[in-house]
Amino acid sequence: MATIELRGLRRTFGSVVALDNLDLDVHSGEFVSLLGPSGCGKTTALRIVAGFEWPDAGEVLVNGRDVLGQPANKRNMGMVFQAYSLFPNMTAQHNVEFGLRVRKESHEKRAKRARELLELVGLGTAMDRYPRQLSGGQQQRVALARSLAIEPSVLLLDEPLSALDAKVRVQLREEVRRVQLELGITTLYVTHDQEEALSISDRVAVMSDGRVEQFGTPAQIYNGPRTAFVANFVGTMNRLEGTVVSSEDRVVRCGPVMLSVPDPTFNHPAGETVELFVRPEDISLELLSNGNKPAPGLFDGRVTSLTFLGPVTRVGLATDLGPLLADVSSAVALDLAADTVVAVRLDSTALRSIAR
Amino acid sequence: MAEVTSVAETRPSSHRFRRARNRVPVWHLIWLVLAALVFIVPIYSVVQFSLTGVQAGQSPFHWYLTVFDDPMFRSSFWLSIQISLETVAVSLVLMVPTVFWVHLRLPGLRPVMDLISILPFVVPPIVLVVGLLPFLEKITWLFVRPEVLSLIYVIFALPFLYRALDAGLRAIDLRTLVEAAESLGAKMPRTLLRVILPNLRAAIIGGSLLTVAIAMGEYTVASLLEFSTFSVYTYTIGTSTAYEGVALSFISFIFVWGAMLSLYLLGRGGRNAAAVAITH
Repeated sequence: MATIELRGLRRTFGSVVALDNLDLDVHSGEFVSLLGPSGCGKTTALRIVAGFEWPDAGEVLVNGRDVLGQPANKRNMGMVFQAYSLFPNMTAQHNVEFGLRVRKESHEKRAKRARELLELVGLGTAMDRYPRQLSGGQQQRVALARSLAIEPSVLLLDEPLSALDAKVRVQLREEVRRVQLELGITTLYVTHDQEEALSISDRVAVMSDGRVEQFGTPAQIYNGPRTAFVANFVGTMNRLEGTVVSSEDRVVRCGPVMLSVPDPTFNHPAGETVELFVRPEDISLELLSNGNKPAPGLFDGRVTSLTFLGPVTRVGLATDLGPLLADVSSAVALDLAADTVVAVRLDSTALRSIAR
Repeated sequence: MAEVTSVAETRPSSHRFRRARNRVPVWHLIWLVLAALVFIVPIYSVVQFSLTGVQAGQSPFHWYLTVFDDPMFRSSFWLSIQISLETVAVSLVLMVPTVFWVHLRLPGLRPVMDLISILPFVVPPIVLVVGLLPFLEKITWLFVRPEVLSLIYVIFALPFLYRALDAGLRAIDLRTLVEAAESLGAKMPRTLLRVILPNLRAAIIGGSLLTVAIAMGEYTVASLLEFSTFSVYTYTIGTSTAYEGVALSFISFIFVWGAMLSLYLLGRGGRNAAAVAITH
């Protein structure tokens, strides 16, 4: 097991800054995801760790030792690529054995290790198959087994599931996590899929424009976004714009509605314009009888759209605060239709404020 | 019952659909036959002519037997084979690492490579060889040996081998395969030998056979440098005895067909179908 430290990594491609003083610490045995949109620098960072790219400045320390002077083939890092990377001329077994063959391991040891790892990824019966005889998901499993065969100090995965269909992706990400936990290997995982990152990682680094916007546990990232980018990128958020009325009481005026923000990180002077974020699941709806006014603390809204998402239905609302999205139980949503007038309740404890 | 009826009703229509889909239009067949005739008629004429002019009591394959008995045939044929194999070896040693490296590390040079590779098409062989002669004459030990032809044929074969290798490398995800091998600890020579070359098998075979075909059939340069290669021998025989010349032509056909058949059989086992298709 190894630790990874990225210190002040900077990488430019012409005038484009791919990495801008990136710092990141990955603890031994930890599963860390680099999450961000295309072009945010996450793959560049991973490729620098792997030895396929070199930074303009900065350090990559593995177990405290700078590895930037070493070529990729000396770093002993397992890597699974986004594209199918199995050697087409070799069977699954020979693919897994390749790294051990390079290390001049005996035939018996190679075969034993390949069998163990293919069984670990659930492909013990497909050892003699060529890549063209395997599905995309199976190919990525073999690629995972192959990368683990060399007993790497760290495991690097560059969007390994992005080419797979949704169901296989979910199944395989759980498998990746299971294998990682079983072997306790330090893992750096690149993805643009927030659900994937949040579901399997110990910690997630949300990246934007070559920088880490926020680094924390999935719960910290989801429940306490520190920047507007993280709030918008991770999950679905309602964004409300308001003006601080009272700094001490943490009261913000959004249109005609006064909202109390119990967020302990709230630290904005009166008069400042702030953005408030609230997730759709933190908004609840109550049906209003004809002509009735909402109870105190609630405000009225009109249903503009209904999107069935299985257990919940996402309701689009037109309110005095602007358009909002609310997730309600699909059973409750049966009573709703376009133009239904409802009372809207915001869970104020879930409101997060970020200065503009 | 309603379901059974509906299934029964759909069957004939699906059969009809399949029959309609598989039916080849008459015009397609006519064009196919015409195209076949264009190839078959000359070959048939060659074979027929090579079997005529035989005196009573002689084998109908007299001209073939005469050709095979001629020591000049054997020596010229083996000389051409030797030159062809040398051309293939030199071409592969030069081109495979070069094209591999350009694809992997210098993709910006690909248009330059494309341009260079078509120069032998643009510059006529006679112009090329006249240009090369003053240089080659200075290397006297080489100039008198048939190996000099191999070096010139490497240039002639360049477009064909380059295109085949280029297509083969485009058909695989070169960078990912190389990086995967590197991440597993392999150095570049091992990656090239164990990972890349096996996946370029069809491209290499295709390019090599075209190189052999060029080296076997080239006449202008061999004649100018006064080497008695198979093509020079065929021309010489053809000018003196038409029957033997035509028999030799048919032997050349058979050789080329054999080469193409081996390409098909070897390429069928390969995984680089796209490269084969382009090479053909």
